[in-house]
Amino acid sequence: MEFSEHIKTANVEDVVLRQPLHPPGRGTLCITGHHLLFSDREEGSCRQVLLLLRNIDAIEKSVENLLTYSSLFSNAGLSQRLSGSSGTITIKCKDLRVFQLDIPGMEECLNIARSIETLSCLDIVSEMYPFFYRPSNASLRDQCGLSSPERHYSQMKELHDRWRLSTVNRDFSVCPSYPQAVIVPKSTDDDMLEKVAKFRQGGRFPVLCYYHKKNGMVIMRSSQPLMGANRKRCREDEQLLLAVIDGSDKGYIIDTRSSQQALQAQMTGGGFESKSCYSSWKRLQRQMERGKALQESLIKLVEACGDESNNMDRWLSKLENSKWLSHVQTALSTAGLVAECVERDGHSVLVHGSEGTDSTLLISTLAQLIMDPGCRTLEGFLTLLEREWIQAGHPFQKRCAHSAYSHARLQQESPVFLLLLDCVWQLWQQFPLALGFSETLLLRLSTEAYVSDYGTFLCNNQQERCALGVKENTHCLFQALLRPGERDCYSNPLYEHTELAIWPSVHPQSLHLWRGFFLRWTPQTHHLEEAQEEIRNMVIEWGKLALS
Amino acid sequence: MEFAELIKTPRVDGVVLHRPFMPTVEGTLCLTGHHLILSSRQDNTEELWLLHSNIDSIEKRFVGSLGTIIVKCKDLRVIQLDIPGMEECLNIANSIEALSTLDILSLMYPFFYRPMFEVIEDGWKSFLPQDAFKDLETMTDEWRLSEVNKDFSVCPSYPPLVAVPKDVDDDILRKVASFRHGGRFPVLSYYHKKNGMVMMRSGQPLTGTNGRRCKEDEKLINATLRPGKRGYIIDTRTINIAQQAKARGGGFESEANYPQWRRIHKAVERSNVLQESLIKLVEACNDQSHSMDRWLSKLEASNWQSHVKEILTTACLAAQCIDREGASVLVHGTEGADSTLQVTSLAQIILDPACRTIRGFQGLVEREWLQAGHPFQQRCAQSAYSNSKPRQEAPVFLLFLDCVWQILRQFPCSFEFSESFLVLVFEHSYASQFGTFLGNSTAERAKLSLPEKTVSLWSWVNRPQELERLTNPLYEANSLVIWPSVAPQSLLLWEGVFLRWNRSSKCLDEAYEEMVHIIEYNKELQNKVNSLRRQLAQLETEDPLLQTP
Repeated sequence: MEFSEHIKTANVEDVVLRQPLHPPGRGTLCITGHHLLFSDREEGSCRQVLLLLRNIDAIEKSVENLLTYSSLFSNAGLSQRLSGSSGTITIKCKDLRVFQLDIPGMEECLNIARSIETLSCLDIVSEMYPFFYRPSNASLRDQCGLSSPERHYSQMKELHDRWRLSTVNRDFSVCPSYPQAVIVPKSTDDDMLEKVAKFRQGGRFPVLCYYHKKNGMVIMRSSQPLMGANRKRCREDEQLLLAVIDGSDKGYIIDTRSSQQALQAQMTGGGFESKSCYSSWKRLQRQMERGKALQESLIKLVEACGDESNNMDRWLSKLENSKWLSHVQTALSTAGLVAECVERDGHSVLVHGSEGTDSTLLISTLAQLIMDPGCRTLEGFLTLLEREWIQAGHPFQKRCAHSAYSHARLQQESPVFLLLLDCVWQLWQQFPLALGFSETLLLRLSTEAYVSDYGTFLCNNQQERCALGVKENTHCLFQALLRPGERDCYSNPLYEHTELAIWPSVHPQSLHLWRGFFLRWTPQTHHLEEAQEEIRNMVIEWGKLALS
Repeated sequence: MEFAELIKTPRVDGVVLHRPFMPTVEGTLCLTGHHLILSSRQDNTEELWLLHSNIDSIEKRFVGSLGTIIVKCKDLRVIQLDIPGMEECLNIANSIEALSTLDILSLMYPFFYRPMFEVIEDGWKSFLPQDAFKDLETMTDEWRLSEVNKDFSVCPSYPPLVAVPKDVDDDILRKVASFRHGGRFPVLSYYHKKNGMVMMRSGQPLTGTNGRRCKEDEKLINATLRPGKRGYIIDTRTINIAQQAKARGGGFESEANYPQWRRIHKAVERSNVLQESLIKLVEACNDQSHSMDRWLSKLEASNWQSHVKEILTTACLAAQCIDREGASVLVHGTEGADSTLQVTSLAQIILDPACRTIRGFQGLVEREWLQAGHPFQQRCAQSAYSNSKPRQEAPVFLLFLDCVWQILRQFPCSFEFSESFLVLVFEHSYASQFGTFLGNSTAERAKLSLPEKTVSLWSWVNRPQELERLTNPLYEANSLVIWPSVAPQSLLLWEGVFLRWNRSSKCLDEAYEEMVHIIEYNKELQNKVNSLRRQLAQLETEDPLLQTP
């Protein structure tokens, strides 16, 4: 691998950098294989900006027209002319920040732009920065990840009567997007699982994702059953689900598609659990937006947030048009429905959509946050994300390849994880005491999922991570976030443990735009952060006083 | 006066009260001349005491002999009373309708209210114009306090004492008054200590279609300019509306006659439009449908947020002229008693740190709204639920408070008061046991002897236990000018007022208390640290041997 091939101009002096919330600075710009580095050379300041090239979503360049310029100064030599000209590069990042670089010298400007364009979209995972990142305060031998399916199972003693840990997928052959070990009903043996896997899209047979200690009810998740147009059935699948209910009168299947979408899926080989074959399950359809529509919604919202027309009507109608808040509302109310089935009605639930790797995970995660106090601590939340998103096979690599500014044709990009973080933020602001982590954590995760020094969000599933040795060759974000110094910024100083379920209000009037994220780089959000910072500092101060 | 005539059924037993986010209460309903009271006669349950004047409208329904009255209040709360017996229910409803719309000022509750608390400081005397002028005198001697309006004959909506340029005598003022709408000649509203620039306000000049001029008016406002300096006139109307005003005898300052002034037109909405906007907004907030699109488009259609933005923008402009351009400013619209006051008072919030304290804000409300003659009685007669035809109602003052809240939210450490103070002032401007917001002008208040016969809201607020409740725990005094962002993305719906009764605030209140607790504990610890440090220092000086090596 030769990054240097892509770097024609590595250094430019006398570059002016404009970035949000800071005065412009003049200094040196450097391009390396993974970073854009700007160091301020002005008297009395030593500001540095270090930006991962992978963070760059889009780049726009404008250079002074050479022809006009040369006709004006036709006597000047070519080299002088080139050095006298200049260009401007606008860099739009995946974390929604926008930078502007004024670069003297047209050739330099073009070279830099080309390098950025190429290097920011290199998609060979093993060449990405996490494989090169070696912080001095951590070693690759440190524990990677917070938990594993094995540990999760062994900690949940109350599960052991009726549930077992199956390693049917130890070589990822049964389901490439599942981890090596999963929790399934005890009465279901591995042979059955293999058969069920063939009946579910992508091999994602129903597995346990949450056990409600209070009443022994569970949340399962899977992908759609492959019944197809000729209504194929699979006895083993039916038996597995029957074993989940085990004696209680019924369970609920929450399908994240509309009935019509489910019917259409049947025509293309997918489908849903029919009433006749799964008589003890009641199916509820809750349509959730997915894929491209979600990505377009994000693009529209970000565009609205950047709108500078200063017109209130325009802003509100653009906000409405983006539909983002409607997606937040649907996600929260569907998760509320799942939690209601489990906690209030005392029934088990199976969640799935089509593939079971996107909205399914969104719903199962939110439902757990609503019901389970254990998920609401800083560790608990990160463990939940690890289990329900990393291990459960949300295809981060595909979904987070581009963000809202990209001009590239959309492929599989979709801000499902961002939508999750937004929903969690809604919970956080409706229940400011109930969650042990801060908005800062959500903001950090919103960036890390797209671009990171750490290997945690690399690849699409555990199989890919194993193949590339992500675990052995990169550092773990979650471990880093829990280190003593870091922990303070990511904890909620107001946190008080509560055993109660937190039922979010999903009235449109109760849901807000996540300003901390979407308007993060506008100056006024800044004052609010200062106030929060103040409180956090006080709490940290006490900690010190209490120790001394 | 016989309230009893209006009350056919003074009490009913077995009435069930439904309130948002509170358990239902069953008890006895009593009607008095001023209150609707529901008491369960049990310990530990809160009673309902509702002023009739707080009731904006009622609706009644019957199912068999069980009647239901839905009471919609001016503070936007909606409560429901289930009353057994059709006749009782009808009687109660009729009484409420009659009592809540009585508009004889001297029968209002403030005249009957006797404080149950010790008045430490009489709020009626806390913010007199002569005291405010004393402060001004410490900064400049270019102004004088004129008594030209002492019998309210020159300008019925002005107070008896106003600050005017020193070189302008009372005869000139009388002439100027006849040239300005409602006699509202230009008076001092704010003096910017930093650079000596001033903000004045007035009514529109009565130039009419044939361009009448008044040399005295020109002399008066030019007297506020430094030699060679220009000033700005901020007209809160669009140029079109200002042109139209000429046909009705009004107008604006022409460039020809006021060459030293630059006129800027802004579009701040007034009266009817604002009232309709409020009604639409409240309707949107109470919409029970679960559709996000519907909510956002209703919010947009109400235009309320646009009004907030327009007012804030204009206030920022006035503040900018003074602080950044170093120029004096005259603000007026038509009458100079509505949008003009929004602009002048908000500009002061932006420019003057003193207005951001609890006491300073009271002073601002007194000076720029009550004494400046905002017709509270007319504007706040009805709120968003009223079915009667709107006359002069307009949420001008509520919009001002909303704008203050926007700034407070953007600068959470710069205000000594918290949101609850703004909510409190809002409530009392519409219905109150205090006399502060009664009447339309100082003249009316004097005629009714309000200062003698009623208690001032400020008498109640300025007591330690109340002040504590209204103080912002994050406040740190700063002497800066604070420039709010007026980008539409930065302006939020004021949930503390508009969604107050639609969402449970339990969790938010708990978090707020927790934050207050943290801050108090922090202060305590700091005091402890300081006293330990002092002790240590003392020990060290007393005994040199103790000094650390």
